[in-house]
Amino acid sequence: MRISRSFAGVAAALLVVLAIAPAADAPASAQGKTITLSMLAGYKEDVLRANLPEFEKKTGIKIVVDAAPFGDLYKKQLLSLSTGGRYDVLFMDEPWIPPLSEFLLPLNERMKTLDTADFIPTTVASGAFQGTQYAVPVDPNVQLLVYRKDLFEQKGLKPPATWDELLADARALHDPAKQQYGIAVTASSDIQTALYMLLAMWSYGAELVDGGKGSLNSAAGKKGGEVFLELLKYTPPNVKSYNFADVNKAVQLGQAAIAIQWASGAKPMEDKTRSSVAGKLGYTQVPKAVRQTPMRGVWTVGIAKNSANQDAAWQFATWLSGREFGQAAVTFPSATSAIHSPRFSVLKDPVTKAALPYADALLASLQITKERPRLREYADIQENLRVTAGKLTAGELTLEAALKEIDAGTNRILGK
Amino acid sequence: MAAGRAGRWFLLPGLVFLFAIDLIPLAYSGWVSFYNWWLVRPRDVRFVGLANYARFADDPEFTRAVVVTTLFTVGAVLVEFLAGLGLALLFAQPIKFLRPIRVLLLLPLFVVPVVGATMWRVGVLNYYLGAVGLGPLPWLSDPRLALVSITLVDAWRTIPFMFLVMYAGLEVLPAELFEAAAVDGASRWQSFRHITVPLLTYIMLLAILIRGMDAFREFDIIFVLTGGGPGTATQTIQILNYRAFGLGHMGEANAIGIVTLIIVAVMCFVLMRAILRPQGARS
Repeated sequence: MRISRSFAGVAAALLVVLAIAPAADAPASAQGKTITLSMLAGYKEDVLRANLPEFEKKTGIKIVVDAAPFGDLYKKQLLSLSTGGRYDVLFMDEPWIPPLSEFLLPLNERMKTLDTADFIPTTVASGAFQGTQYAVPVDPNVQLLVYRKDLFEQKGLKPPATWDELLADARALHDPAKQQYGIAVTASSDIQTALYMLLAMWSYGAELVDGGKGSLNSAAGKKGGEVFLELLKYTPPNVKSYNFADVNKAVQLGQAAIAIQWASGAKPMEDKTRSSVAGKLGYTQVPKAVRQTPMRGVWTVGIAKNSANQDAAWQFATWLSGREFGQAAVTFPSATSAIHSPRFSVLKDPVTKAALPYADALLASLQITKERPRLREYADIQENLRVTAGKLTAGELTLEAALKEIDAGTNRILGK
Repeated sequence: MAAGRAGRWFLLPGLVFLFAIDLIPLAYSGWVSFYNWWLVRPRDVRFVGLANYARFADDPEFTRAVVVTTLFTVGAVLVEFLAGLGLALLFAQPIKFLRPIRVLLLLPLFVVPVVGATMWRVGVLNYYLGAVGLGPLPWLSDPRLALVSITLVDAWRTIPFMFLVMYAGLEVLPAELFEAAAVDGASRWQSFRHITVPLLTYIMLLAILIRGMDAFREFDIIFVLTGGGPGTATQTIQILNYRAFGLGHMGEANAIGIVTLIIVAVMCFVLMRAILRPQGARS
C-alpha cells in the first residue's frame, strides 16, 4: 500500500514535470506569454511560419504574426510604434532602425548573453544606432553578382570583377533576338533602381551623405551614374516597370545572363521546380571601381520599448538569430525568398554550402559590406533618391539634373 | 408644434453619426494639417500655421501631381461615360440575345481593384496583342503610355457602373414619347438628341459626379500598376499623400488630404449646380 502511494506520488510529480516540460527553455517570466510579431509578408514569411511551431512547443510562448508587404511594413511599424501600438517584436530592414530607435528597447545588456563572436560583425552593427544596440541580426542580406556559368564558358568570359568588365560582358551576352539579355536590374520607380544606382556611385567613391550634407553630385557620382545608365542598354525591354521579383524572374526564366540581386533572391534561382537555370549560376561579389561596396541590407529583429512581454520577446529574438533556426532556414525550400543566418558557424557549415551555392559569396560580401547612412532621416532621404532615380531612368531628368536634385532633396530633409 | 419639436429629436441619431464619423475626424485632420508632426520625432510637434499648404505652391512635384490627377480623372470619366452610354443604348434595344449577357458585362465590378490591377500588370493585354501580332507594347514602362494604361484599366473596372446607371435610366424613359416621335417621322438620331439626352441628363450628370469624385481619389489601381512611375508619369495626389503618410509626416499628409477634399468639393459643387438647375434653364 505504501509502495503504491509512493508510486502514485512519483507519477503525479512526473505528470507535473511533463506538463511544464515543453516550456522548460523559456524563463519563468516568458512562459505562457503571447507576443505579436510584425513580419514581412511573402518574402521570408514561409520560412518563419514553417519553424514557428517548433519554437512555440519548446518555449510555451505563442507568436501571433501580423505580416505586411515590403512596401507597407515600415509605414505600419512606424504608425504602430508611434501610437503605442500592439507589436512586441518587429522584423525590420536595417535602415529603419535609426528612425524607429525612439520606440525600440535598448538591448546592450541583453546582447551580453549572446555568443556574439559567432556573428559576422557587420551584421551586429546593422542593429545598432549611435552606440546603442536596438536589434539582433536575423537575415544577413547583401547585393551579389549572379551570372550564367554556361553562357560565360561558351563565350570564354570570366566573371566580371570591375564595372568596366561588367559592361563588356553584358554587351557581349546581349542578344535580344534570342530573348537573351545582358543583365537584369530594375530601372523603374521601384526602390531597387535607386539602390542599384547608389551601388555604382559608391563604387566610384561617391557618398549619398557626407559631412551631414548631400554629396552625390560629384565626379564620382556622375561616373557611377553614367555606368548605371550604360548598363540599361543591355537589359530586358521592360525593366522600367521591374521590381525585385522581376529581376529574379528574368534570371529564373533564363533571359538574363547576369544580374545584380540581393542574396535574399538567390535561393529560388536554384530551385529546379521554379528556375530553368538552377545549377547553371555562379555567384560572386558585386563589381568594384575605386572600391568594392556591396550594399548591406540585414533583416533584424527588435523589441518594442512599450512591450509588456519583453522577456518572451527577447527569447523569440534570440531563437530567430540562433544557430538552430539559421540552420533550418538555410535548408528550407523557400518559394520566394530566403532567410539565411548571420552566424559564421551556419554559413561555413558543409550542409549550408551544399544547400546554398552562393554561401561563400554571401559570407565574403558580408565581411566587406557597406552600410547606408545611419540617420533618423534616412527613410526620407532614400525616398527622395527613389523618386529622382525613377525620373532619371524615365528620361524626365538628365544625370546632372538628377544628381543636383538628389542633393537638394537630401539637404532639405537634413535642414541644410 | 409639439409634434414638430419632437420630430427634431429623430434627427439626433443621424447627426451623432455624421459628427462622429465625418465631421470630427475631418476637423481633426484639418487641425493636424497646421502642425509639423513627424512620427519619428514625437516630442517635436510644432504649430506651423499654413506652412504645410504654402509648400505646395512652390513644389513642382505637387503641381505635376495635380495635373496628372486631373488628366487621369477627365480621361477616365470621359472614356467610361461614352462607353457606358454606348453600351446602355445598345442593350436597351429589343435584341433578345443581348439580355442574358448583361450580367457578364458587370463582372469587372465584382473584381477587387487590387486583384484586377495585378491581373493587368502580369500582361493580359500583351498576351492578346501578341496573339494577333501587335504586341508586346511597354504599357507600364513607357512614360507616354503609362497614364493611358491606368486610365484604360480604370475604365475596364468602372464602365459597368456607368452602363448600369444609364441603362437603368433608359429603362424608365416613357415609351410613348418615342412612339409619338416615330409617328411624327423623327429619325433615331433626332429621338436620341431631343428625347433621350434631355431626359437622361440628370442621370448622366449624377453618374459623372460619382465617378469624377471616385476617379480623383483613385489610388489602388495606380499603386499596383505603376506606383506612380515611370518617373512621375502617373504620380497622382493620392500617391503623394500615401508617401507622406508612409514616411510619418502627418501634418503634410493631412494637408494633402484637405486639398484633395477642397478640389473634390468644388467639382461636386459645380456638378450639383448643373444637376439641380431647373429643367427649363438646362435645355
